[in-house]
Amino acid sequence: MNLEDIAETKQELINFEEEIREAYESGKIRAPVHLCRGNEEPLIKIFKNIKKEDWVFSTHRSHYHALLKGIPKEWVRDEILNKRSISLNNSDYNFFSSAIVGGSLPIAVGTAYALKLEGSLNHVWAFVGDMGAEMGVFEECTKYSGRNELPITFIVEDNGLSVNTPTQKAWGDCKNGKANIIRYSYERVYPHHGSGRFVQF
Amino acid sequence: MTYKDELTKAMNFLAENDRVLFLGQTVNYSGSAIYGTLEKIAISKKIELPIMEDTQLGISIGFSLKGYIPVSIYPRMDFLICATNQLVNHVDKIEEMSNNQFKPKVIIRTAIGSRNPLYPGVQHCSDYTDSFKSMLKNVDVIRLENSNEIVPTYKKALKSDRSTLIIELSDMYNQE
Repeated sequence: MNLEDIAETKQELINFEEEIREAYESGKIRAPVHLCRGNEEPLIKIFKNIKKEDWVFSTHRSHYHALLKGIPKEWVRDEILNKRSISLNNSDYNFFSSAIVGGSLPIAVGTAYALKLEGSLNHVWAFVGDMGAEMGVFEECTKYSGRNELPITFIVEDNGLSVNTPTQKAWGDCKNGKANIIRYSYERVYPHHGSGRFVQF
Repeated sequence: MTYKDELTKAMNFLAENDRVLFLGQTVNYSGSAIYGTLEKIAISKKIELPIMEDTQLGISIGFSLKGYIPVSIYPRMDFLICATNQLVNHVDKIEEMSNNQFKPKVIIRTAIGSRNPLYPGVQHCSDYTDSFKSMLKNVDVIRLENSNEIVPTYKKALKSDRSTLIIELSDMYNQE
């Protein structure tokens, strides 16, 4: 795909997904498919910065990500027809996806850590939906990656829905609401357990 | 040689492999029986992680995708329960769900907490060996019943193409 030509690439993506939709509707895919549509332009812009050697960690909705990573259309189509739309994976293109919401995030962090240890110039790109980005695992992964300066970027794909559940409504309508938290500091006197003196039982 | 001596020997053996890394809580700081078996291993091979059990196992998988052999450490089996998502949904399933594109290999080290001389309560000494065996079809689950099994088990885990969950018995640490 020629990512420099946004209009052309956008149409290629849409055409591919239309083909998959038709195959699904004609009963050729005996498995769930999570079709993409409407997010072509922001994705194309993001993928302009993603090198072939970089790693992409995706979600259950990964058709566009796979194509934009450079995986041949024929391979992606065959995988989808073989009931693996929900977990497209291609090691030749450093492309991983999982159907567990938020599940691929820590794996992405581990790969980013490995890249850092190796002194690699490659980067990890971790995609997550808007509900995934509200989960505790997202907080852990972003906090740990940031504080350890790991070569990873998280991309939140926000369509406002998790399956059919409105994400923000499910979390609570009062977006500015704050939990009551009291935090105090103190210096520990005794060790983690016991008294610090040896006891013979 | 005591059970603990054999564990220390096994860890030192693993550490000789350039691709092996040790991850978890108490790999660099005291606080668990497991820590005492890692003291002679270079700090550069040990990554002390915060408590985030499930994320820890995901990070371990991520290392394995890059060719490392992570030894992911959970000082008590009760804590490994918190990582069951990554263990069952990814360590055990990635090869199948990716149509053999990825085959992570992780060595998971945990222990059934000791009951003597102090009883730590039901959340610190549970044994879920049989439950994990029934949930995992692509991960070898091995409980180290005596000290002479320890080094051969870790050697086999290092050589294996599969991931291995190795369960120690903390009450055995000072026994031959």
